[in-house]
Amino acid sequence: MRFAEPRYYDIRALEGSGTQIEIDNGIIESAGSAFSDTAVIRALGGKGWGTVVVDNFSALGDAAVRRKVDEALTLARATGEDVTLAKVTSSVLPVPSVAEDPRNVSLEEKTGMLLGIERAAALDGIVNTRARYIETAATIRFENSEGTEFGYEIVRSGYSVLAVAGRDGQMQMGRESEHGITGLNIRHKEAKGREAAERALLLLDARSAQGGKMTAILDPELGGVFAHEAIGHASEGDLVKEGASVVKDKRGAAIGAPVLSVTDDPTMPEFGFMPVDDEGTAVQRTEIIRNGVLENFLHDRQTLAAVGGGVAGHARAQGGYAPVVRMSNTFIENGDATLEELLEACGDGILLKGSRGGQVDPGRGVFQFNAEYGFLVEGGEMTAMVRDVSLSGDILTTLHNITMVAGDRTMSQGYCGKAGQSVPVSDGSPHILLEHAVIGGGQS
Amino acid sequence: MSRIIPPEIAPYESLIDDILRAGAAKADEVEVYLEAGRSLSLELRQTVVGEASMAEVWGIGIRVITDGRIGSSSTMSPGRWEACLDAAVASARLADQQDWQGLPSPAPLPACDEPYDPLVVCDVALAEDLLSRTMAGAEGAEAVVIGGSASLSSGAGAIANSHDVFSTHRGTHAGVSLEMINGTSTGYEYDSTARLGDIDPEKVGEKAAFFADFWAGAGDVPSAEADVVFAPTALASLLSAIFFPALSGRNVHAGRSYFAGKLGEACLDPALHVIDDPHHGDHATPLDDDGVVTRPLELVRDGTVAGFAYDLKTAYRYGAKTTGNAVRGGAGGAPGIGFHNLTVEGPAGGVDDGGAIVCHGLVGAHTANTITGDFSVELSNASYVEDGEYTAPIRSAMLGGNLFAMLADIAGTSEETRTVGRIALPSVRFNNLHIIGK
Repeated sequence: MRFAEPRYYDIRALEGSGTQIEIDNGIIESAGSAFSDTAVIRALGGKGWGTVVVDNFSALGDAAVRRKVDEALTLARATGEDVTLAKVTSSVLPVPSVAEDPRNVSLEEKTGMLLGIERAAALDGIVNTRARYIETAATIRFENSEGTEFGYEIVRSGYSVLAVAGRDGQMQMGRESEHGITGLNIRHKEAKGREAAERALLLLDARSAQGGKMTAILDPELGGVFAHEAIGHASEGDLVKEGASVVKDKRGAAIGAPVLSVTDDPTMPEFGFMPVDDEGTAVQRTEIIRNGVLENFLHDRQTLAAVGGGVAGHARAQGGYAPVVRMSNTFIENGDATLEELLEACGDGILLKGSRGGQVDPGRGVFQFNAEYGFLVEGGEMTAMVRDVSLSGDILTTLHNITMVAGDRTMSQGYCGKAGQSVPVSDGSPHILLEHAVIGGGQS
Repeated sequence: MSRIIPPEIAPYESLIDDILRAGAAKADEVEVYLEAGRSLSLELRQTVVGEASMAEVWGIGIRVITDGRIGSSSTMSPGRWEACLDAAVASARLADQQDWQGLPSPAPLPACDEPYDPLVVCDVALAEDLLSRTMAGAEGAEAVVIGGSASLSSGAGAIANSHDVFSTHRGTHAGVSLEMINGTSTGYEYDSTARLGDIDPEKVGEKAAFFADFWAGAGDVPSAEADVVFAPTALASLLSAIFFPALSGRNVHAGRSYFAGKLGEACLDPALHVIDDPHHGDHATPLDDDGVVTRPLELVRDGTVAGFAYDLKTAYRYGAKTTGNAVRGGAGGAPGIGFHNLTVEGPAGGVDDGGAIVCHGLVGAHTANTITGDFSVELSNASYVEDGEYTAPIRSAMLGGNLFAMLADIAGTSEETRTVGRIALPSVRFNNLHIIGK
């Protein structure tokens, strides 16, 4: 169907199912599926966006859809912003093939495999184990008033396992998780359960970190969170457009050390993969920082037209929400150093490993994130294990303090929250050396 | 039980009956949870509205129980209820068996606030008025508006089960927010209420402007031990991440709560009281999301751990009694343990005595160690205060500590309280906390 009246409209429908299995201390708490059927209809009148979200969308006929477009147009009259959409290319990449489609494996068998991972974590000294499997299968259908029309299907799946170690009233956690788009990934993963448990047990004997300013090495997982929180969010075109990013007027400027290059790549077959963005724009690898210089903002069509200086194809939406500018697979590019060289250059400092998440205030340029654990570095050697160690700082000074980058990048997966929506992302980094890092911990 | 059916639910009354009837043939017990509603929001892009959106949400969650095996599923399509019921039945086959003594039967409902206001309607003119009042509150500020919103929603829900429980509820919500910036000093404030008369948009604008303007040109601080006053917004983020999950019966019995084994123990400040009141406040409800009659729950009394929250499933499993604390995030999920309207009280006074650092927000509260209570966060809108007067704003500093240790030694609380989400709490002062400066 195609309607003439609004100067632009698009319809993005999502139909799909989600499967979740939850196991707690060996008990299968739940294992089942739920169904989604929702659409977002956007229209541009003379000014800004009118948006209508409709559940049970597939039951609507053409006439009812037309009425929803009209409703969106009516809502658009309440807006006052001048919205222009940049001209873009639309094309859809093939969705990477899956090695083993999780939908072809029975819920019973998947539950058995997850139970294996969860039970592997139940080592002596572990007081609680928990595992969760999440699988989503979604069919996306898109059309807009410019004649762009496509559909694709994508299946995401993965698991997490958590172990809590307890002794003499002390408790510590270890966690492992893997999520992806290339098929079922819970076969023969019992070792991951053991890893989580062993780390939780080791943390019982770890000491609290000493807070203060020091030289730090970030492992690939935490380095990835750094790329996402400290760099990625501030480069999002909508924040730049509203003046809510500390790097809004820094394009072309050296905002980081020359060893630092950061990329967002939705084409990478990782958890944040998109075959096309959620406004129908072709996706492409986008260099945010190259050799320390801010090269590109991440954009959707509106922010590209309003701000420029970047690449569209970064609009993403959770089902039932209008798209906003988001990251996909974000990472610090490999350098040519080794971890051994980083440790030697660090001398006395701290190696931070794993992530308990992070947050940024992009307007103020302040970020904070927490490592899962760490090791003291003394005389270039890793020594005692430390726990509850966090890192915070100012984006604009911290990026200049990255002095060495190793060549051992790996990616980790997670969900990123923004504008009330949660989307799958991955981030990664090689080991990086950060001087003058502000480390938080239990003691001064 | 006589049925009072809100207009959003009326078209689906027979659907609910159909599901219950079909479910009874396939499972020992069946429950249907239905939600339907509309919401409208206007989003500011700087000072003009850039997006006006309307959402119509609809969903049903079906839960079945057979031989103590619980299964559930949900759908957004009324026409697909049979597939949804089958998925719930299939999921019950896989779940482990547990002690189960049945879904609730009809019972007299307690007197209870209804968090519903007929004046809250999804009307563009009303949202525009809220938004302009919010911006009016920020007039005269040096800072500029970078974003904000006004939202209105109205909806209804029903819970029904094969033991003849059939109960409906209505709810409304009005909210505004404003985000401002002065250089790189950001200010954010919001308000969110069930009733239109309770919302204060002008104050939201005024405070967002104050946060952005007062902190422009803020200075750094050295690392030090300091007395810190947590504004309700700052403390609520830590309590939500660490403290309240530790009072969930499920976490306690599963061995991942600080309070496991501490029921009846005086391990908190002797003046600390924490109560969950399901009958008064914006989240008031006579029945919880298991269909169980709610009652006030004392969680902490005089610093002693007085109770844990239970839903039906956890209570049956561990031989406890449900406290009516089953809460759903919407029709899309099975109920879990949650809270209704929490009130936190501590030792009165002392908040404004002498010098301290006050902070209004925390960056990274969710990265805390949720079991041990250890946290390390970045302060947001923190300032030195002297006898309650803001003296010098602090640009950036880290704060580390242990929330449970802090709650065992509270220096004082303010008279004025604020409701943040489901938690009503005062400003709370803790002495000798560890600040890491820049």
